[in-house]
Amino acid sequence: MKITGTKKMITSGILAISVIGLIGMNGCAESKKISDKSGAQLWSENCQRCHNTPAPKTFNDEHWKTIGMHMQTRAQLTNNERDKIVDFLQSFNHL
Amino acid sequence: MNLQKAARLAFIAGLFLLNNGTIIAQDMSQPGNPIKDQSINQAVTSMLPSETDFMMVGLTTFGFINQSVTTTGAAANKTNSLADADRFEFSPMFLWRHGDNLLVEFEPSWDGNSIGVNWADVHYFIAPGLIARAGYFVLPFGIYNKRLAAGWIDKLPSDPTGMDVAGSDFGIGLSGGLPLGTMKMSYDVSLTNGFQLNNDGTITNGFVVAQNNGKTVCGRLGFLPLSNSSLEIGVSGLYGALATPAGATFINTNPTSTTGPSVSMYAVDLDFVHNYNPVQVNVKAQYSATMISSMTYADSAAQFTFNNTITDFFGQVSVRPSNSKNKYIKNLELAYRFVDYTTPQGSSYGQNYTESDIALDYWISWRTVLKLGYEMRASKGTAVDNTEGYINGVTTNTNNLIIQFSTEF
Repeated sequence: MKITGTKKMITSGILAISVIGLIGMNGCAESKKISDKSGAQLWSENCQRCHNTPAPKTFNDEHWKTIGMHMQTRAQLTNNERDKIVDFLQSFNHL
Repeated sequence: MNLQKAARLAFIAGLFLLNNGTIIAQDMSQPGNPIKDQSINQAVTSMLPSETDFMMVGLTTFGFINQSVTTTGAAANKTNSLADADRFEFSPMFLWRHGDNLLVEFEPSWDGNSIGVNWADVHYFIAPGLIARAGYFVLPFGIYNKRLAAGWIDKLPSDPTGMDVAGSDFGIGLSGGLPLGTMKMSYDVSLTNGFQLNNDGTITNGFVVAQNNGKTVCGRLGFLPLSNSSLEIGVSGLYGALATPAGATFINTNPTSTTGPSVSMYAVDLDFVHNYNPVQVNVKAQYSATMISSMTYADSAAQFTFNNTITDFFGQVSVRPSNSKNKYIKNLELAYRFVDYTTPQGSSYGQNYTESDIALDYWISWRTVLKLGYEMRASKGTAVDNTEGYINGVTTNTNNLIIQFSTEF
């Protein structure tokens, strides 16, 4: 069976996605230096890659969780980063 | 008569409600009473987080533009307007989250003339580092379109010309961020309906029904080598077979080709943000190239061939004394951008275009900005004819003075 250029590209893409998916599902190594970072530090480092760091009391807890997921789809944050940043922002609603 | 009847009914209803309230109040005072328990349960339940969250955010951008256009051999044409189609936007965004794994996004957008849709998609968070999506979304090509295009994020009043080459389309995709020791990487890939080749050699996508059976593969890999995530380098690629519309007037000039026309794109991008106390330095850049199969194209006047390649670059730098002790100076940001955009020489839309933009921003809040910008744009036509206004050898200079307000709500 002759494989056309498009099929080659799709096959390569699927293979690449599978490899990346397997890596993702198994979890990559995160150094202690990174895993020890606080939510405040991650908020400061990651949000400003695209826009100003958001003011903590902008949204309620549930909305911060939703915003965290939305931002993860845009900036490809890791789960650890997303969860810590959301926890940090939510904490200001309970002071 | 009817009024009297209504008044009597209202009086009786009032007595009933008053009496009922007294009964409830009396019952509430009794421990273990089911009415009291139900009331407390309802109150507590309303305070607990629900599985579903719906919210509306979005953005709006508007402003004043004073424009001067000078074309070789002609007098300057000066205009001013309190908004224009390139810089006015009202885009509410609806986010609906169900539990921890499902997110739906929908962003309609009004540019003053028509209502379009920026994205309408659903994301499923399968596992750490693995998010699936489906629907209509921005293709993962470069960084500008997906991350920087919103008016309240963009440091300058206008989008860099030509950055929307990959656009948005219907399809599916996967994305995620993965830790790599002290570094980090990200991936974002998609499979979409793809592009159609137009008679003038341009391409269009965003068809809900695929125009051919070949799909378009697109993806971006991002690498963040520094532990503080201050630097990100990305590479993107796109490949797809092009659909040819019924009645197309172009001819495939490659006699050995059996697969029909196709498009390939690649891009490299850079994002660097770092605080050199008290100044924050922000650098963004992206270069892309689009290569479309060589064809013989035709318009009403003649047939013509050209090397159908488009290149586009933007680089920008901004500085903000964000840690200044002065409460006004810390909100100022100075930004500069250079754009170089080249469309095919000998096509009907050929031009060599450059742009230098400068802006002084004042951040009213973290998501609200007032921009004062000046743009100097120069376009030299390299077109085969003047059907689209890019006359060969003719230079058009456009200068824009812009005052713009943008906010995320």
